[in-house]
Parts: sequence; C-alpha cells; structure tokens
Amino acid sequence: MSDDTPITAPEDIEMQREAERLEEPVREAAALAKKLGLNPFPVNYWIVDYDEMNELIAYGGFQQRYPHWRWGMTYDRQQKQGQFLGGKAFEIVNNDNPAHAFLQISNALADQKAVITHVEAHSDFFANNKWFGMFSDDPDAAAQLARHGETIQEYMQDPEIERAEVEKWIDHILCLEDNIDQHKPYAPLDPDDDAPEVDTEELSDELGDLQLSEEVRQEVFDEEWLDAQRDDDDATTFPDEPQRDILAFLRTHGMQYDTDAEKAIEMKEWQKEILEILRTEAYYFAPQKMTKVMNEGWASYWESLMMADENFAASDEFITYADHMSKVLGSGGLNPYSLGLQLWKFVENTTNRRHVVEELLCVDGITWRNFHDTVDFEAVLAELEPDPMVASIGSDSLDAIDADDPRVDAEALEAARNGEIDLQQYPWKLLSYEGMCKRHYSLTKPENRGFVSRISMGELEQISRYMFDDSKYDSIEAALSGIDYAAGWDRMREIRESHNDVTFLDEFLTQEFVDEHNYFTYEYMQSSGDYRATSTDYLDVKKKLMLQFTNFGKPTIVVSDGNYRNRNELLLEHQYNGVALDIGQAKDTLQRVFELWGRPVALRTISKEYDDHDLEVARRRDREPEPKEQGIEIRYDGREFTREDVEWSEVEHLAATDVDYDTKPEEWLA
Amino acid sequence: MGLRDDIERYKDVGEDRRQDLSEFIQYGDLGQSRRDEVNIPIKIIDLPEFEYDQRDMGGVGQGDGGTPEPGDPVGEPEPGDEDGEDGDPGEEGGEHEYYEMDPEEFAEELDEQLGLDLDPKGKKVIEEKEGDFTDLTRTGPTGTLDFERLFKKGLKRKLAMDFDRDYVRAALQIDGWGPAKVFEWARQQENLPVSRAWIESAYEELPRDERGTYASLEEMETDIERTSTAQRIRRDGIDQVPFRREDERYRYPEIIEEREKNVVVVNIRDVSGSMRQKKRELVERTFTPLDWYLQGKYDNAEFVYIAHDADAWEVERDDFFGIRSGGGTRISSAYELAKERLDEEFPFSEWNRYVFAAGDSENSSNDTEDKVIPLMQEIDANLHAYVETQPSGNAINATHAEEVQQHFGGSDDVAVAYISSPEDVTDAIYEILSTEEDNE
Repeated sequence: MSDDTPITAPEDIEMQREAERLEEPVREAAALAKKLGLNPFPVNYWIVDYDEMNELIAYGGFQQRYPHWRWGMTYDRQQKQGQFLGGKAFEIVNNDNPAHAFLQISNALADQKAVITHVEAHSDFFANNKWFGMFSDDPDAAAQLARHGETIQEYMQDPEIERAEVEKWIDHILCLEDNIDQHKPYAPLDPDDDAPEVDTEELSDELGDLQLSEEVRQEVFDEEWLDAQRDDDDATTFPDEPQRDILAFLRTHGMQYDTDAEKAIEMKEWQKEILEILRTEAYYFAPQKMTKVMNEGWASYWESLMMADENFAASDEFITYADHMSKVLGSGGLNPYSLGLQLWKFVENTTNRRHVVEELLCVDGITWRNFHDTVDFEAVLAELEPDPMVASIGSDSLDAIDADDPRVDAEALEAARNGEIDLQQYPWKLLSYEGMCKRHYSLTKPENRGFVSRISMGELEQISRYMFDDSKYDSIEAALSGIDYAAGWDRMREIRESHNDVTFLDEFLTQEFVDEHNYFTYEYMQSSGDYRATSTDYLDVKKKLMLQFTNFGKPTIVVSDGNYRNRNELLLEHQYNGVALDIGQAKDTLQRVFELWGRPVALRTISKEYDDHDLEVARRRDREPEPKEQGIEIRYDGREFTREDVEWSEVEHLAATDVDYDTKPEEWLA
Repeated sequence: MGLRDDIERYKDVGEDRRQDLSEFIQYGDLGQSRRDEVNIPIKIIDLPEFEYDQRDMGGVGQGDGGTPEPGDPVGEPEPGDEDGEDGDPGEEGGEHEYYEMDPEEFAEELDEQLGLDLDPKGKKVIEEKEGDFTDLTRTGPTGTLDFERLFKKGLKRKLAMDFDRDYVRAALQIDGWGPAKVFEWARQQENLPVSRAWIESAYEELPRDERGTYASLEEMETDIERTSTAQRIRRDGIDQVPFRREDERYRYPEIIEEREKNVVVVNIRDVSGSMRQKKRELVERTFTPLDWYLQGKYDNAEFVYIAHDADAWEVERDDFFGIRSGGGTRISSAYELAKERLDEEFPFSEWNRYVFAAGDSENSSNDTEDKVIPLMQEIDANLHAYVETQPSGNAINATHAEEVQQHFGGSDDVAVAYISSPEDVTDAIYEILSTEEDNE
C-alpha cells in the first residue's frame, strides 16, 4: 500500500488497473470531504471481485468472523438477489480506524465514485458520533473480530468439544444479542466475576464478635432468628435494579443445563468465553443499529452533494449515478436512507431559514404578523443567491480572484495560477470552507425556493419572541448582508456528534416535514383484519417512529430477579409500553434463555386480549374493539411451558402509560 | 472452515428448520402462497428474539405523491423495508423468509408426513403418439429391417451348425470306419451337428489311399488336435452367415397411449350468516392444502369454487374464502350447481373429480336427506367430502355432516370430517385423502 493512495488490490492485472483508475477519485473525494467540513477517519480501500464482495456482505463487512451458518445464509441470499436484481453497487465500510471500505471491480466508474463519496461521509460519522465512541474511541475492530473468530474456531476444532454444541451455544446467545444495555459504554466483564455468595457462617461469626451476653444472644438472636436470617439471605433478590444487559447477567450468574444429569451445572470455560465474545460484538455493532437513519442519511446527503453538485461524476457517469441513487433510496415503504436524507436536508433548511428569518424580522417594518405580506421573497432569494465568483469559480480568469477573499483558498489559488490544479475537474479546490458554504447554500436551490415563504405563523411568532432590536436594518439587503452561510452545515455537524436515531427523530421531526414528505401512520384493524392509515399528525408519526427505533425497535426486557421463587429461577420482565409482545417468539426465546440459565425461566408481560363477542360487536358497528390488558407469566422449566394470568398489581409497575403508541383516532374505538 | 463451510452448515440447518408441514397447515400464514407455489416460512432466518407483536406495533408509511386519508387501507406492510437494502455491517436483513415449494413437492411431503400414497388415475387419453421403433413385425419396408437381429440370428445358427470338419474327416480315415460308423460316432458320442449327407460326400472326396490312415480311434485322437468353434472362426473368419427368411424382423414404432392425469376439484363453501370468521378460517386451512395436494398429484388440475347460502353461485378463488353473505342455507343448491358444471365440462370418463364441501352443518330442513344425498349419489366422483367446521362444538340443528355420515358410513368415496380448531385440520385432511386411498 503506498502512502498517498490507500488502495489495495491483489496481484492481478485487472485488479491493479482498477486500483490505479480509482487512485485519483479516492484522493480527491477525501480532499473534497475535508473541504466540506468533514473530518473522517482515514479510509483504506480494497479492490475485490464480485464473489468476495458477496462474501464480505455476508460476513457483516469483515473478512474474518467466527464460523456460523448465518453467514452462509446471507451469502446464499445475497447471491440469489444478485441474480435477480443485477449487480448493485454495494457500499461496505467498517467502523474502524482506519476505516476499511471495499470496491467491487466490476462496478462502473460512477458507482465506484458514489461508493467512495458515501464511504467518506460514513467514516466521518464513525469518527465523530459519540455513540460510536461508546464502544471505543479508537476501534481496532477488524483485528478484534478476527481474534474472536480464531478463538471460536479453535473451540470448534477441539476434540474435547463437540462442534454442534458450540454452534448451538452461539445460536442461543444470538437470540439475545439485542438484549444489552446499549446506552452504557461497553465494559468487559471480569472473567472471575461470578455470582456473589451469601455467607451465613459469617453472620454467626459477626454475632460472636459483638460480644453480647449469652442471654441477650439467646433471647434476641436465637437460632430461630438466625435461621430466618439465613432464609432471608437465601431469598436475596438480585439484581437490586432491573438489569437490561441480559447477556451480562447470564454471563455472571448463568449456568448450563446438563441434559443427562437433568440439572444445572457450571458453564464450561469455552461457554463463558463465547458468551463474552458475542456480547462484545453486540456492543460493537449496537451504535450502527442505533444511528442507521442518521448515518445512512448523512452519507447519502454528502454523497449526493459531492457527486451531483460538485460534479464529482463526469457527465456520462451521472446517469448511472442517478440510477444508483434511486435504487438505493427508492425502495418504497419506510426507508431509513431516504428518511435520513430528507431529515438532514430539512434540518439544513430550517436552520438556514431560521437564521434568515431572524435577520429579516430585524428589518424595520417587518413583524411576525405581516411577514408573509411584507417580505419580497424573490428579493430575499436574489440576495442569498451565491455570486458568480463562488457559483462558477474557475471558469473565468484566475487573475480576477482576490486571494484575500475569505471564501478563497489562497494556497490553492496560488497552485492553480501555477497550473498545478485541474480546474476543469475540481473547481472547488479554489474555495475555502466558507466559499463552499456559500456555493452550496441550501435555500437558493431550485427545490427549496419556496422554503422561506412556507414558514408558519407559529414559528415566526416563536422566533420573534426573542428579538429585542426589531429595527436594526432598514432594508432586506442590509439584513442579509451579514448572513452566516455556514449555519446549516455547522448545525448538522453538531447534531451528528451527539444524536442517535431516537433523539434525532424526536427533535427534528415536525408537522411541516411530515406534510412535505407524505408520512403517515398505520395500524392493524381488528375489525376488518387489514392495515389502515390512521394519522398524519407529526406527533403520531413521531411516536411510531420512536417505537420503531427505540431500543432497536425491540421491546425492553429486563432481568428482574435471579432468585425467583426463591429457587434460583430467572424472572424476566417486559416493560410494557402499550404494545404487546409477540408471544410465540417470546416463548421460543425463553427456551434459549433456559439453555443459558440452566434452571427454569419465566417472563412477565401484559397481553392484550380481545373478546370474541366484543370483536363481533365492534365489527358490526364498524368500530375497533378495546382489548383487555391482562398480566401474564410464561414459565419454561426445560420441558414445558406454563402460562398463567397474574394479578394486575403484580405487573402494574411494568405498564408505562406516559405514551400511547396507538394512533387510531379516538372515535374509531367501540 | 470458512465460507464453503458456513454455506454447507446453512443448508443443513435450513433443511431442519423449515416449518413443519403440519404445523404450517394448522397455524402458518397460508396467505403468502399461491395455488401453484407454496411458501412455507423458514424459522431459521430469525433466530427467535423478543419482539413486538407486528400487528399491535403498527408503523409509519410514506405516501407516493400523496398521503392516504385516515381510514384508507394501506395493504400489508412490506417486510424488510426498515432494514434498507445494502448489507450494512451488523444488519440481519429481511425478516420473513419463505421456503418455496411447488405443489408436487408439497404433495410428496404430505404423503410422507401423513403416510398417504394417493396414486392418481390417468383418465383421458389425450393422444396416441409414435414412440421409439421398438416393436417388431415379420413384414415391413426394407428400410425398417432389423439387420442386426438378422445377423445375430444367422450367426447363432451358424455356430449351432458348426463342427470341426477336419476332425470328422480324420475319423473317416480310421481303418474300418465307414460313413455309417462315423455318423453314429459323431452324433452319439461327440454330439456334433453333422449330417449323414455331409459325411458321405466327405467320404467320397477322401482319396482312397487315405482311408485307413489310422489304425484306431485312439491313434487318430493323439495325432489330430481338435479345435473349438471360436478358434476356427478366429482362424478362418466367417465366410458366410446363413441368413434365413424366418429370421427377418422389421421394426415399427411403439404406440404410446398418453393418459393425462386430470383432476377437477369442486370446492363448495357455505357463506351464510352463521359462518363466522373462525369457521371461515378453518375452511381455508383445510381446502387450501387439499388444493395444493391434488394440484401436485395430477398433471392438470382445474378448480371450481362455489359459494352458497340458500342459493349457489360460482366465484373466483381470491374471493372464495372471504365472502360472507346474509341469507339462510340450502346446501343442495351448491350440489345442483356443481353437477351442472361437472356435467358440462368435466365428464367423469375423462376427469378425476373431487367434490369438497364445507360448512357448519346447518342446513334447511330435510334438504340433506331429500336432495343433497341423492345428488351426491348422482354425481360420479373419486371422492365426495364434507368438512364440518364448528369451533364451539355442535349446534343442535347442525346435523348435515351427521346425516351424510350415517347414510354413506363406511363408503370408500364419501368422507366426512369434523374440525373444531386448527389442531384438527391435518387429521381432517388425512381422513379425506385416506378415504380415497382405501378405495383403490
């Protein structure tokens, strides 16, 4: 690998040629990303062929993972999809420092460039988003995952251990891979950290140390009391607080079930180690799952800016590029790529608009009440329009450009004057970040020209509430002369540092956004047996999205008691938010939990039950029936399931009532 | 280990974890399948996880060029949308995977699981076509003469007639042995296919002075080395193969009667007011696998769907399981229509016929005895079946199934099955299909 072009290709003439062809795009994409204010980890690119690409996709983007059938499954599916859908340009990039990305040799140049620009933006996200920092600020993922793979492979090849046992063990653990505490930084478990034991002997010793008279001892702390103490101690419920990291709890307190002996026995070393390995991997992949909308949207935003607006694709490449973009973004339904991209653009536009409006409201005679009638929006846009210097820099004589203009990259200008820069291809090199902000200012783009005028009265009023000097300027021109064109991008970078999907959606999804992009919620109708649109209110849309993205879109299950029924059984609780659990899946999962606990396991949840009669009545009236909420406990003892209703008081603490995720209009209910 | 190995393991695991067929019939999502393609969920794709109930969860959609009004149906949420398309690190991908089976495979597996073995009868001769030229006749155009056969026959004949001529000639040279003696010796002691005439002419040709060359048989045997037929053919070649007219055979093409295995399945369903959701579902769970099974067994399957309350009418399959009407019930109306349709288009001489009816056994008074049973007797079919679906046990006046059973009890072409919950479905299917199996 040479220093200035981090592209690696195997010893193959075709591959080498491709690597050479992509040297310049890779170098220039990184430069352009920096110019746009991004700060990615360096990226190492690898040229791979179609089969290798499929293999990488199957293995979650890494070359070496532990042996498991699910990689085979993904590969199989990948290949079948490829056959039907045609080779799509896949972007694979790993959160690592340096990041690793893969380019498929058979892709068109436009696709390669699209992947490269996309990857640069992802790498920026990895490097700067704090959720990625939770696993490690300086990940060494590829090596770590490879080590995990080796360890597990060694166990599989160990003649003492049956391979099938190892595979089953892995399957059990994978069922719980989302049951970690992803909001806390990953902390490895001490390998010796096993269950604390309550020592009753110690208690009698301590009593002895108190030097009480034998009488008092007999009277108060008699054997009965001591026994009771012992019982209490045995009855210790732990953990003190419900614990979300079920994998950690099982690693510390779990046992395996020995089928022959029909009892729980200590986990073997290999079992403990694999459990911890997979838990580590779950933490490693968690940030990617938690920031999918943001991360994909972020990458799509910058990819599209670099490719389309900065002509990173040559004109003939552009058609293929557009084609590629629409394939990635236009897959219908709710697509995290397009939701993310739309939301980022919305954030950019609203930030810029807010800044513009703040200034406009300081113009003498413009108030939030008369805003829409008074302001000449065409004039505003004309004022904001990037001037020809930044809009078409490089096309005219370089002599006219002032090196002291803050929008100009003086160094690059110097180089350009010496003929060292290909201005035809890379005119942006002449601009500074400030210049780029002006050149790509969002509000004057054709698709956003109505954005300023669409501001609502409510938002205007809100902005004006904090205005003190409302007649600073005497004209629109004066008001806009000091506009900070970097406001949008600066804000976007701040957001990408601290947010995850849940907070991102929560904070930035507005009615305006929902209306503009036709989002709506839907629910399943018990009465008609189909799905119906229920609401276009942004609060409803937001609630549903929250449900879909909070906790990986999974219900929250916690360890409530590791000594349940005073018999070392495990009690899990579902923190019910009004959306019922898939009971079938939950039972299947409980069976897996049993394998990792070694003793009976139980799960408490609240189920929704529909009475046949109510259902019929509701149907006749064309209304929705109200379910009855019933606390239930499902227990699995290694042989069979039991399901029992439990008193409401037993599950009341599980039922959260603050958010109602049901978006069916009130009047639909029976 | 590595990719090959992981794929191999996946294949093994996948095979194991396809949803069990009976479980699928009882509880699975039949809606993902079409009549010509059975989609059975593969459990493997998702290792189980704690998840929300998909229906209870609802979701967010994005309108295409407009937003649906609240209340508009939006169709099934497309699975996997939230997962995006690209294989992102850490993503598990689509949530629903199906194992695709065609009806043939389905029928095979069902046979295996239920221990059935229905052998479909070919009824209709669709064509007589010329097969390979494998049949033979004694006359025919020269071009079709089976020369190979003629040659082999001739060769056999030659071998059968062949004998060691030199040896026999030598016997004639024994002192005192004449043709009569040699013939007797050759035929009786040596078993040589030699004729008296040949010996006599050989004796004539033998120079006089050579007669009596050997003093005795023993002397001749030590002097002359016998040769076998094979040795002689190798030495002399076959100068002449005796072709005979009687060995001539002419080839002609075999005539194959192609019988197409045709089946027509009439599905009859009571859609009257008393047939509530649960009953409807049970009918669908029973009829759909039967359709697949028969389609898988026969070359050509036609389906007729008849819905009835007090009247009967023909419907499309897509509508069949969903319809609900208000009226009363007269089961005979459906059989009348079935008879009409069958007689019109599907003569029993050419078609295997199956007439399946389902309902909750409620019928208007005397209709069963007076009309339905006679109609069932009139309609020739491989099998008639009635499936009673009563989720909540028997209703008092629901006696249709019972009456039919009493009348045809033990018959091998009428089956009656009772279903009160999905658990009964596979038993019912077995009951129905094994009834016909018995009658073979």
